[in-house]
Amino acid sequence: MQEHQPMAAHGGMPGAMPMAGGGAAVAHEITHGPSFALLRVDLQPGQTLVSEAGAMVARSSHLKMDVKMSAGKKPGFFAAIFNIFIAFIRKIMGGESFFVNHFHGGTPGSVWIAPQMAGEITYRRINPGETLILSSGAYLASVGDIEVKLKFGGLKSIIAKEGAFMLKVTGSGDLWFNSYGGTTAVDINAPFMIDNGHLVGYEGQLTMNLKSAGGGLLGFMAGGEGLVCEFNGTGRVYVQSRNTASLIGWLTPMLHG
Amino acid sequence: MQIDIGYRPAHSMAKISLNPGEQILAESGAMVGMSTNVSMTTGMQSKPGGGLLGGLMAGLKRALAGESWFRNTFTANGGPGEVLLAHAMCGDMQVVQVPATGLHLTSSSFIASTPSVNIETKLQGFKGFFSGEGAFVMQANTQDPNSQLIFGAFGGVTELVCDGNLVIDTGHLVAWDSTLTYKIGKSGGGWIASFLSGEGLVCHFQGQGRIWIQSRNPVAYGQYVGGQLPPRKG
Repeated sequence: MQEHQPMAAHGGMPGAMPMAGGGAAVAHEITHGPSFALLRVDLQPGQTLVSEAGAMVARSSHLKMDVKMSAGKKPGFFAAIFNIFIAFIRKIMGGESFFVNHFHGGTPGSVWIAPQMAGEITYRRINPGETLILSSGAYLASVGDIEVKLKFGGLKSIIAKEGAFMLKVTGSGDLWFNSYGGTTAVDINAPFMIDNGHLVGYEGQLTMNLKSAGGGLLGFMAGGEGLVCEFNGTGRVYVQSRNTASLIGWLTPMLHG
Repeated sequence: MQIDIGYRPAHSMAKISLNPGEQILAESGAMVGMSTNVSMTTGMQSKPGGGLLGGLMAGLKRALAGESWFRNTFTANGGPGEVLLAHAMCGDMQVVQVPATGLHLTSSSFIASTPSVNIETKLQGFKGFFSGEGAFVMQANTQDPNSQLIFGAFGGVTELVCDGNLVIDTGHLVAWDSTLTYKIGKSGGGWIASFLSGEGLVCHFQGQGRIWIQSRNPVAYGQYVGGQLPPRKG
């Protein structure tokens, strides 16, 4: 097992850098990581940045912003109805927004993007044939031909009330995802377990099983670890250093009604 | 005076090293620690010659703007002294020299300044009510070329240079040069699209000058975390 600190964790990354097997990345910079990361994307004419609704911090005035539904690209009336349905499901189940914003312009310009939650922004180039599974809510922005679909997490995830829906990212282009706290990329080639609440994403060739952390039913109820994700195969898992459910659990007793 | 900011950007703290007799004016509640030879006086900081009534009015305006009624003045007596200052929120702090043309600040971002800086709370009027930043902004003015001002933010602070036009989300705006003009408006093409985009209202800046933005939106953060809290009982 090897650990990689993604470049973004060091608060910045060179602009256009060539990536193996997938052309050049769009010019961008991530600053203020890992606690309050901010993304700046420098768009050239013809490039379109897609971001989660509400994530824009600032932009050059001449860049146009179009609101689109977060699912599907197929034309036609029935496809549109279907897209509304899918976008609605995503909003309810996936924690993702119903709408996404498209930024583009006829002359170069910049867009600044930030997530709502404290934490890091991680960049990843998605190459054709690659699949990245993200926790719901982890998608921040993308450039290029990136498709984000809902993935049902299975019956167990419903019982666990966590990860009922994940996001399946495919295509070819640049992807940015966010986490609560810092992000660590762990390359695994042997079975590996992480706490459900700390999972940000994993590569699609890995298999993931939700299980109790050990200690049977009692461990599940009292161990405080809840469910863990067990990964098998060879690939990369992204882990976040904080857990939102733990924050809520810590805050709740201190807020007196 | 020497100002050093440590623990950036998440939990920044300012260390102000005062020469003998030097003063710094700070928002009440911002003091973390100070040398024993530093004295603190509390006042309402009206305009010079404003008198008691002027002070009361200045304090009242600040209270309405969500700032504190009082401000504290720290003075180093009989030798150099240190004052440590921090913001209430997690985030970055920035030291700027107030230009002769003035500086605008959102109302809760002021932390401290040299006494030569005159800070006024101004009613933004109509546009303030809709900007999410409250109805008030602060305006800092000075003739002193060595003046310094410290402001705080939620998340990291980035300085943007506006050369013509920039659109800033109102929840991410911290401070800007008074040379800039701005209008509050919709972010996208139409009102419905702007609403759906989740961007709400934005500030359209025009002109030449600096804008400081914060990398997190306190209201959006509050809604994200608050939305997951169990409902209050009773």
